[in-house]
Order: sequence, then C-alpha cells, then structure tokens
Amino acid sequence: MTEVRTLLAAVLGVLLGVLCLLAPGAVVRTQTLGRRPDGRGGEYGSDAVPTRWRRLVQALGGGCLLLGLYFGYTAVG
Amino acid sequence: MRHVGLKARMAVVGSILFAFYAVAAVVVMGIFDWPLALVLLGSVLFVGVQYKLGKWMALRSVGAEDLTEERAPDLHYRVESLARDMGIDKPRLMIARMGVPNAFAVGRKGAGTVVVSEELLRTLDDDEVEGVLAHELAHIANRDVVMMVLGQGVASIVAIVAQWAVLLTGDNDIADFFLAIVVGQLTQMLVMLFVFAISRYREYVADSDAAAEIGSGEPLARALEKISRGAEGRESAVDDQAAALCIFDDRGGLANLLSTHPPVEKRIERLRSR
Repeated sequence: MTEVRTLLAAVLGVLLGVLCLLAPGAVVRTQTLGRRPDGRGGEYGSDAVPTRWRRLVQALGGGCLLLGLYFGYTAVG
Repeated sequence: MRHVGLKARMAVVGSILFAFYAVAAVVVMGIFDWPLALVLLGSVLFVGVQYKLGKWMALRSVGAEDLTEERAPDLHYRVESLARDMGIDKPRLMIARMGVPNAFAVGRKGAGTVVVSEELLRTLDDDEVEGVLAHELAHIANRDVVMMVLGQGVASIVAIVAQWAVLLTGDNDIADFFLAIVVGQLTQMLVMLFVFAISRYREYVADSDAAAEIGSGEPLARALEKISRGAEGRESAVDDQAAALCIFDDRGGLANLLSTHPPVEKRIERLRSR
C-alpha cells in the first residue's frame, strides 16, 4: 500500500512539476481567479501573469519534479 | 430571454461544480462525522470570507483611491448613465496607478466598484473609455465577480477536502505529505478548468452587453486593439527567457483552455462583426 502511494506521489508530483514548468501562468490563474483583479501585471483584456510570479511557480515546479523523481526512485529502486 | 447561451452553459458548469462539491461534502461528513448543516454553514462562511477578503485585497493591491465627482465629472456622468441603462446602482468609481492600461470590477450588483488605471485614461479616447466602463458594468450586472468567487470557493473546498482525505488515510510519512499537497493542487486545477471555461464565455457576454449599451462594438474593439498593440511593444522588450519555456501559456489550443479570457483578436473580431 505504502509503495503504491509512494509511486502515486512520484507520478502526480512529476505531472504537477511539468505543469508548473510549462504552464506557470495557468497555475497562478488557478489560484488567483476570483481572488485578484483580472490582468494584474498585464494589460486590460488579458489574463497575463507577471514574469516574477511565473518564475516562482517554475522554480517550485522544478522542486516538485525533483521530489517526484526521488519518490519514483525510492518506490521502484 | 436574455443570455440564453450563458444560462445554458451556467447550468452545465454549475451542475459539474455542484457534483464536485457534493462529493467533497459527503467525504467531510464521512471522515469528520459533521452534520450536513455544519458542512453547508462552513462552506458559506468560507466563500463569504473569500468574497469580502478578495474585494478588499483587490482594491488594496493596486492602491485604489476614490475618484471624486469633482475630479472626473464626465466619467461619473457616463458611469451613472450606463448603470441606469443597465438597471444597476451606480458603482463606486476608483482610480489607481497600475503601470499599465487596466480596469476591473469588484463587488456585486448594488455594491459594485469599478477601478480604472490612470494609464488607461491617458491611453484611450473618451468613447473607448466608455466602452471599457460599459464592459466592466456588464460584469457587475451579470454577477460575474460573484460567480468567479463562488467557482474559486468550490474549487478550493474540493481541493482542501482531497488534500485532507489523502493525509488522513496515509501513514504520515514524507511521501504522504507530498502526495496530499500535489493531489490538492491538481484537484483545484481540474475544477478550475470548468470555471475558466465559464469565465471566458462571460467575457464575450460582457463585450456584447457593452456594445449593445453604447450602440456599437467599435469603441471597445478599438480600446482592446490599442492596448494590445502597446503591450506587444513592451513585451518584446521584457525577458523572453521565462516565456520561452511556458509553451502551454502563450500559444495553442491548450493555452486557451487554461485562460480566463478569450484571445483579444477574437473579442475584437466579434465586437466588429456585430
């Protein structure tokens, strides 16, 4: 059971890490829609996300990816 | 009947969100042994606090201040006239220095606030500003802000419940904590996909309402065109390094799926084809 959960942590962790790396804006929008005004840091009519927020999410995504790979290694290896 | 398409879409998305919420509520009732009344009360409180806090934070985050009638009598007159025509109370008008041309609405019918940036007023002509104001008032009239807060509230509740369900059924080792956080995030993203879809459609509806109110879609189309053209110049000067990796953020069908707004070009096209 523990192995299955560790493997699940690995697979989902890698998935979230990749999402954060490739679509950081979408990850930010997931948290901010309905909480912050539209287009903050961007222009009117767009849902652009400030670059520093994207970078922060990408950094977290990198960490998530590494942790996912580590758990994958411990579950399989 | 007004906004048949919107109502049909809301029925579909509302049902999906309700299904997610119902599953979360049943899980909470099962795990924590909470009665239904307590689950409902907790949910209402959670969303209520999010709404109140969200409005306050939105205004605070941009440093919005009241735009008095003495300072901008023309703008006040236009907002009052548009609000009257749309059948809503005149919203509070505020101004902020945001660094870019922008405007947004917060609050609900009867207690709405519209914030415009100084840059927007400098960039656009009077009729274009009116188009933008009409669009923001349409958001208030259509209760878009409240709907987005509600959608975000449901997504957050479902995510928190998923996270706790993973935590409470695990062995409390480090992999379980990690799994709980990841499951929470992914669940929230999954639910928000439906909220994004309705958000994009609501933008089209607000555009259409604004155009109907001022008699033409051209001023708002011109405003969007002017602003996006200005943004292109700025963006090319900003770093492309971070953007280069964001392949699902800026282009392709998946990017649209993960957006809260439809592409500006499509909005302009629709406004002009009215």
